[in-house]
Amino acid sequence: MKDIDRLLKAKIPCPETGIEVKHTICDICSPTCHCGVDAYVKDGKIIKVEGTREHPLNQGVLCTKGAANRDYIYREDRIKTPLRRVGARGEGRFEPISWDEAYTEIGARLNAAKETYGPNSVAFFSGFSKWYRPIFKRFAYSFGSTNYATESSVCFESTVIAWKATAGMFSVPDVEHTKVFLGWALNPHYSDHLTAFNVLQYKEHGGKVIIVDPRKTPAVDKYADIHLQLRPGTDGALALGMAKLIIENGWQDQEFIDKHTYGYEEYAEYVKQFDLDRVAGITGLSPDDIYEATKLFATAHPAAVHQSASPVTHHHNGFQNYRALISLCALTGNYDCPGGVFPMPPTYTIQCAGFPTREHEFADEVKPTHGTPLIGAGRFPVWDAFMDEFQAMDLTRTLEEGTPYPVKALFGLGINARMFPETGRFLKALGSLDFFVAADLFLTDTCKYADIVLPSCSSFERGEYKVYPGGFSLFTKPVITPLYESKSDVDMLCELARHMNLGDPLLEAGYKACVNDIIRDLSVTVESLEQSDFPVMTPEARPPMFGAYREHGFPTPTGKFEFKCSVIEKFPKEWGVSAIPTWTDPLEDEEPYPFTLTSGARLPNAIHSRAHDVPTLRSLRPDPLADIHPDDAAAAGVSQGDMVELYNAHGSIRMKANLTTRVRPGNIHIYHGYREANANDLIGAAHLDPCTGFPGFKSAGCHMRRCEEEKA
Amino acid sequence: MKLILDLDTHRCSACGACAIACMDQNDIDPRETAPFRSAFCVETCTGEGDKRTYLSMACMHCADAPCVLACPSGCITKDPETGFTLCDNTNCIGCHSCAMACPFGAPSFNREGKMVKCGGCAVRVENGLEPACVRVCGQHALTLVTEEEYKKKHLETSLKKITDLIG
Repeated sequence: MKDIDRLLKAKIPCPETGIEVKHTICDICSPTCHCGVDAYVKDGKIIKVEGTREHPLNQGVLCTKGAANRDYIYREDRIKTPLRRVGARGEGRFEPISWDEAYTEIGARLNAAKETYGPNSVAFFSGFSKWYRPIFKRFAYSFGSTNYATESSVCFESTVIAWKATAGMFSVPDVEHTKVFLGWALNPHYSDHLTAFNVLQYKEHGGKVIIVDPRKTPAVDKYADIHLQLRPGTDGALALGMAKLIIENGWQDQEFIDKHTYGYEEYAEYVKQFDLDRVAGITGLSPDDIYEATKLFATAHPAAVHQSASPVTHHHNGFQNYRALISLCALTGNYDCPGGVFPMPPTYTIQCAGFPTREHEFADEVKPTHGTPLIGAGRFPVWDAFMDEFQAMDLTRTLEEGTPYPVKALFGLGINARMFPETGRFLKALGSLDFFVAADLFLTDTCKYADIVLPSCSSFERGEYKVYPGGFSLFTKPVITPLYESKSDVDMLCELARHMNLGDPLLEAGYKACVNDIIRDLSVTVESLEQSDFPVMTPEARPPMFGAYREHGFPTPTGKFEFKCSVIEKFPKEWGVSAIPTWTDPLEDEEPYPFTLTSGARLPNAIHSRAHDVPTLRSLRPDPLADIHPDDAAAAGVSQGDMVELYNAHGSIRMKANLTTRVRPGNIHIYHGYREANANDLIGAAHLDPCTGFPGFKSAGCHMRRCEEEKA
Repeated sequence: MKLILDLDTHRCSACGACAIACMDQNDIDPRETAPFRSAFCVETCTGEGDKRTYLSMACMHCADAPCVLACPSGCITKDPETGFTLCDNTNCIGCHSCAMACPFGAPSFNREGKMVKCGGCAVRVENGLEPACVRVCGQHALTLVTEEEYKKKHLETSLKKITDLIG
């Protein structure tokens, strides 16, 4: 083989091959993990990707999904042009139209709904990814609607609300300086590989790790000194039982409690109900393991607790579970101190970087003042008290019933129907809309229900503002031109604002003007950031100041860490929300079933449904699988690879059985978002946390049987 | 300088990033060609409980590679410099003799029926780059080391085990 052919085949970037390395970011998963990517580009096409060594977040490595960016970007079902539906909703028949035609029709239809039914009859919804959200929220507000919601209705926000209700703001663990790391729902290998490596280093330097997880995950296998493999949704009972042990043994930090907390007496009285044997019975754990874990955690100073996005809150009792877990930090004095858990204000699109931006003011300054209640108002009191978005889990009901007012138009960016419990009901409810516009990279099954579909481009095809921990700011540059006629979501929003004459000068000035406004209090600008291919230090960034909140008070109404939430305390009794973290059965609203179904724990090759149609990623686990304990499988006559039916009052799905010792007997785990086996067909639309509206994705009842006719 | 693609199974989580990076590097469409590298979690149950072992596997670049002798067309050679087992499939007749000889199932076959497999990203290594699978690994479980480094690392591990045993 000639030298040049060898170099080309190996994709060596050099003048001879004409292969250039350009720098961008991956945005396949959550904004906290948007790693730097080196795109190998030849003749305007990406031919390979690799992690960016100079990027402070990932320092050269990538996860499974990140490594598949090329396959993701060039997916065959990328939407090529704006489309207008010509078939029935869901049928998938469209005609291509121009951007101008699309903008004209969208503007006319949204305005028609607004004029006939009022501004809040137009709802705005953002799914993944989250990068454009400040612009989208401002667009909704400038249009005149306050009905803006996101997939955070089922994602990270319940955890954030639990923190706000307890300490006033979200907080994070200081793993590097801790002696014991309580890894509650810590399973980062398949969801956050960078944290996995940090914990690995902590462990290799002699750190102790306790893991609380219903499954034996890679984190359990590699890190756990003690693993508490509890029943799903019993986290609250475990945390309250640990609190009782801590108080009984005098392991609490009385000085911190006396000086910095509110409602301790009531909390301490309540936890007396959770004696060790009762907690062992509820959680399915051994009393000895609970005692040992509690002693290890409570007697080591400092100790930190992992903060998870949603595994602990995806239960009917999720909010209070999380509050019970947070309370352990204050009880042991491991709050707002080195090696403990410390308050961390978010900077931009949920990333904490150590400096403030005007992200929220940017949207709020044009917020309509008409005062129309949001969709779902009054149904989930804790959500209402702490959030200014509507809780999307009430959207299906609102569309079906048209109360308290009809919602007639929906603008969805990255909207995915399979996020909604009882997906079929949600899709049917979309039929009551006069107008539905969806923007996405791919012609998803949800897009097929839209009247107008707009082609979005990927992070490789646009410029965007990002922040990173450690004080970094970045404004990316496109590494290839947008495929087909696709556009950046923010460009389509700003162009539409101009087309509709929204009267919002910032939106109409374009995305870069918006970002410059959001960061106007910083000494960086879009133009200065564009000078660098890599994230740069933001001069205003400051490291966390441990103890500052102890000294000046926590941002709660009492200024204290609140075992008893003073906001909830003022709720009328009939709302039924406890101000202290109480425990209820996660399945109290369900019929009894022989199995507990848990859906949604990450697979390395999947992130919701967006990787299911990426051929390389799908090849790692081609079939939707039900993870079943070998004992349960034996009792049901099920062997590896047999087709099984999982079913309950809400529906039925079929999957191949995967016999695994990872899961507890009686607990079946499945991944979500599959077209052919949708986990949300088994989750009831009303199986929600009454406090926050979060769905019980991680604990629902089901039956399991072998499909005789389809034995493998 | 002989090179070894080493795997630390204590660090590997079988996430498969290495397998995807390999597909990306080598333009493998897994719908038509078996990937060169695969990641597995092997579960075993014994009287003492259950255990999971995490692995990433590709061509082992055996010192005495049986595929070299098995190939009737002489496509497979050992690179004297790196020790990688290399395949130039220009003359491959697609007979699968290499696959029969390989104890690890490394040889794969492309759309034309010709053998393809992990070549250790030899050209990348020549140009000062790491193999794609090593470059991507977030847990730094896969590494490319020289034979000397490999021997030294394993000697240190053995010594530590003995020291731990005798206290």
